[in-house]
Formats: sequence, structure tokens, C-alpha cells
Amino acid sequence: METKLEIKNLNAWFGEKQALKNINIKILEKSVTAVIGPSGCGKSTFIRCINRMHEVTSGAKVSGEVLLDGADIYTSMDAMDVRRKVGMVFQKPNPFPNMSIADNVVAGLKLLGGYKKEELAELAEKNLKAVGLWGEVKDELKKSGASLSGGQQQRLCIARALAMEPEVILMDEPTSALDPASTVKIEELVKRLKEYTTILIITHNVQQAARVSDMTAFFYLGELIEFSETRDIFEAPKNALTERYITGRFG
Amino acid sequence: MTMKDPEYLTRIYEQIKEMNGIVETVSLNIEEGLNNKKGNLKPLLTDLCKEAQIKEEQIVEMCVEALIRYQPFARDLRSITVAMKVAYDLSRICRYHRNISEVLEEFNIRCDEPALMELYREAYNMVRESLEAYFGKDAKAAAAIIKRDAVVDEGYRAILRKYAASPGTSGNCILFNGITARIIERMADHACYISHETIYLVTGRRTDYR
Repeated sequence: METKLEIKNLNAWFGEKQALKNINIKILEKSVTAVIGPSGCGKSTFIRCINRMHEVTSGAKVSGEVLLDGADIYTSMDAMDVRRKVGMVFQKPNPFPNMSIADNVVAGLKLLGGYKKEELAELAEKNLKAVGLWGEVKDELKKSGASLSGGQQQRLCIARALAMEPEVILMDEPTSALDPASTVKIEELVKRLKEYTTILIITHNVQQAARVSDMTAFFYLGELIEFSETRDIFEAPKNALTERYITGRFG
Repeated sequence: MTMKDPEYLTRIYEQIKEMNGIVETVSLNIEEGLNNKKGNLKPLLTDLCKEAQIKEEQIVEMCVEALIRYQPFARDLRSITVAMKVAYDLSRICRYHRNISEVLEEFNIRCDEPALMELYREAYNMVRESLEAYFGKDAKAAAAIIKRDAVVDEGYRAILRKYAASPGTSGNCILFNGITARIIERMADHACYISHETIYLVTGRRTDYR
């Protein structure tokens, strides 16, 4: 597998407070990487640096390189282009409440413009099918996205991200607000999606990290402590801090 | 950085220690049997090994429950998988002792063979020390035990060679010593398996075995 993302000497600050310290990591194409670590360790800041969301926070600063297919997203790409190529799914499902289910999926495409009505309908169907939601909503596409259950809303948001054909999808605790059945559906979806996209998923659930990811990165106090194959990290981590975290002996 | 074992692991270790206590009793009896000091061991050892087997099943159940309830990772996960294997090895070691008691009863003879007693002591010391290394999470001691397997293997072969070169010896003695030596040699193998598991438990790395 080719390297999709290469992060070199990445540092991030909120004002004077340094949130990330010299992060170096390579993310392989079409893989799922779990990002784990205790609250405040820099996980969210890390993924927000990958789609240039960190810089929108007042007082936030970034240094280092984030290379997407070899091109630095900070120096050689427009922020909007970056966010189109690197989609994001948040902890709490956030469908646009005033839009129908179908319109939610293609909201980003509509903004870009240039699509015919039929094309948008086709793309809505295609992406709802990709997230396994089509069968559940095909007869009520005009209903508000907010009318769906929490798990369905999250899949709708993933469909919305997929519609932009991102090369990388960042997921920030995508199942933390969902029930076990919806969680299983999202996890299965993550495994399916990696066939054509690269995924980074933040999770506080180490069992989930073990279930869905190929690689796992453990962060602590803004530093990348350990990064290796998920099987290795959960069976025999090299770092004592990692071991303490994944065995629940932290704090 | 030392890590305290979670309570569920402590309970599993207690069961393995109890199982080890049964195997110790079995060993004391066999040693006396081989020294011609005790006879009719088979019924006692059958009961004790049954007890050990029940203990093994309980340990496996506790391990499965711990996997379901706690979904452990890293050393905790290794501790669970290793505990199941150690319990199995102890159960096998117990059955090997029962096999010796069967041989003692079947042949009902005593053949003066000091090398056999020596072989037994060395093998059982390996068992005892492998358990000490396991409970003490001592990978170095475990590695040292594995090296001693060659000594037992050689002791076993030496007994076979001796009888092969002594055509005058009673056929029963050849069979008794040969079969018993073979059982003892297998017992030492299980001490090595426990040691390999201990190394895996401590380091997270598998060593080549079985």
C-alpha cells in the first residue's frame, strides 16, 4: 500500500499552549487508523490539522508538514480543496435539519454547483446505498434528516461526506452517541469504506479501535507515543504508557 | 513501571496455584512410588488428576468469562491466554504422573535404576521452577529452564541406550524403565511449554516451541 498521508514534524498550539509536539506519522492508503489516547491528549487537534480545521480556531497555530499524496496541504493547497479531499464526520450527528434526507447527502455538491437535478438524485441514492441507509429511507427521501434515528443520522452524515468523494475521511468519535446496534453498523461501514478511501478514526473505546482499525496511534500529552499495527499494539504494546492506557490503568 | 494485576487475574492465579498444589501432591506420591516406599498409587492419583482436570475446566471458564466481561488487552490479554495453556500443561503433567502409577501397578516390579529417579527429579524440578518463573513473571528464569530440556532428553536416551546394550536385563525392567523414562521426558517438555508461555507473557514475543 502507498502512503496517503505523511505528517512531518507537526506542532500545533492554542495560543501559548502547545497541543501537539513534533508528530511524525505515515498513514497508508485504504487503511483504517485508530487514534486513541486520554482526553486532552491532542487526538482531535491532530485530525483537525489534517483538514486545516485547526487554523479556523482563534489563536490556533500550526507548524510542520501534512503531505497528502506528497503535496503539503498548508503550502500547496487551498483550504477548501483540502476539506473536499479530506472529509470529516463528527461525534454528534449533525444533519442539516431544514433539509430533506436526499438534500442532506448532496448539500456539499449543490454548493459546488454544476450538477443537474437527476445527477444529484443519483448521487444521493448511490451514497445512501454506500452507507447502507437506502433501504431504510428510500420511501421517505423528502423527510427531514432530523427525523431519522441517531444511528441513521450518523450514517447520513457519512453519506454526505462520501458524496464529496473524499480521499481521506476523518471520524471524531463517530459512535460515542449511538446505541450498540447503530455502533455495529457504523463499524461495519468503516470496514467497507476502506476499500476505496483512507480513514482516521478517533475513539475512546479501545475495543472499537481493536475491532475496526488496521493501525493504531496512541497519543499522550500532545505526543505520539506509539504507532503500529493494531494487533501488535493491543497484544504486546512496546511502550509502558500505551499498555497502561489500553489496560485501563491510567490516571 | 509495575502494574498491579486486576482482581479477575488474581483469582485465576489463585486457582492455578491450587492446581499446582494438587500436582505437587501427585509428585510426592510418585517419588515415593519410584523409591519403592509406596504402592497402589493408581486410585489416589486418578482421583487427584480428576480434581486437577476439574480445576483446569474452572480456570478455562474463568478465563472465558474474563475475556467476555473485561475484553482485556496487552499483558492482561496475554495473561488470560497463558493461564489457559498453563492450566492445560499442569493437567497433562498430572496425567503423566498417573500414567507412571499405572506402569508401576501394571509391572509390579522394582528395577534398580538410579538414573530413572535422577531423570524424574530433574524433570519435576523443571516443572516446579517453570511454575515459579510463571508466577514470578521471570522470563530469564523461564529461558534457563528451556535450556535444561536437553539434559532430560539426553537422560532419557541414555536409559534407552543402556538397555539396548544390555541384552541380559529382564524384559519387564526394560519396558518399565523405558516407558517411565519416556513419560518423564514428556513431563519436562510441558515444563518447557510453561516456560515459553511465561516468556510470551512477560515480553509479548513468542519463542519457537511445540
